[in-house]
Amino acid sequence: MAEPSVARAPWRAGSGPGRVLAVVYAFFALAAGARAGWQIATRFEEAPTAYALSALAAAIYLVAAIGLARPGTGSYTLAMVCCTIELVGVLAVGTVSVLLPEAFPRATVWSDYGIGYGFVPLVLPVLGLLWLWRARPLRHA
Amino acid sequence: MVDGLVIAITIAALLAAAFSALMAVLDRPPQLGQLISLGVVEALLVVQLVVALSRIFTGDGPQDLATFVGYLLTVVLIPPLAALLGWFERTRWGSTIMAVGCLVVPVLVVRLQQVWHG
Repeated sequence: MAEPSVARAPWRAGSGPGRVLAVVYAFFALAAGARAGWQIATRFEEAPTAYALSALAAAIYLVAAIGLARPGTGSYTLAMVCCTIELVGVLAVGTVSVLLPEAFPRATVWSDYGIGYGFVPLVLPVLGLLWLWRARPLRHA
Repeated sequence: MVDGLVIAITIAALLAAAFSALMAVLDRPPQLGQLISLGVVEALLVVQLVVALSRIFTGDGPQDLATFVGYLLTVVLIPPLAALLGWFERTRWGSTIMAVGCLVVPVLVVRLQQVWHG
């Protein structure tokens, strides 16, 4: 709504907590990406869907990190879209992997709500969306 | 791997994380002391790198060598990156970045142990 700009929290996208999140996202993209890359290179035929999904998830984490790290509305929208995809992805794949374990014969980043990664895949998009909501740009800034 | 070294790295990293987390709670940007604490962790990680590589070259390596070396090289990069990224964010969130970086180190060291023992 039409709050005066001075009343808005001093947070701006691309600074402060957003930078912390960007660092964590970047690290997670590296961790998930390296593992997925290794799995695809050595045993892709065992579970092509699962490994391709892990690689896709890693790519989305990387894009989210870039969106979170940079100021501007374009980056903001980019981060918002990526965090939303991650949240939907981890909830959807998590639920499917619990109900139909045979759908993903090998663990993905998002299997069982990210249990193999200490539930970080579940927590990260929630934190990301909370932060983006707090740091949302003013409509007429 | 050398158990004493693993314990030393874990304790040093947790202390450094607690120190930086405290500074973040006190609303302080990164100080020289935090850089030094990350430097101590990094020094121990470099010792681990040298010890592990020398054991690998004397034929005492883990089965999954590629994964092990991947973790070994990654963990050495964490404290310098956390120090760099944290230092240039001159708010409490810079201290937070350093604390998070220090918390990642024990996780990777545990993974290293698991891979080493197969």
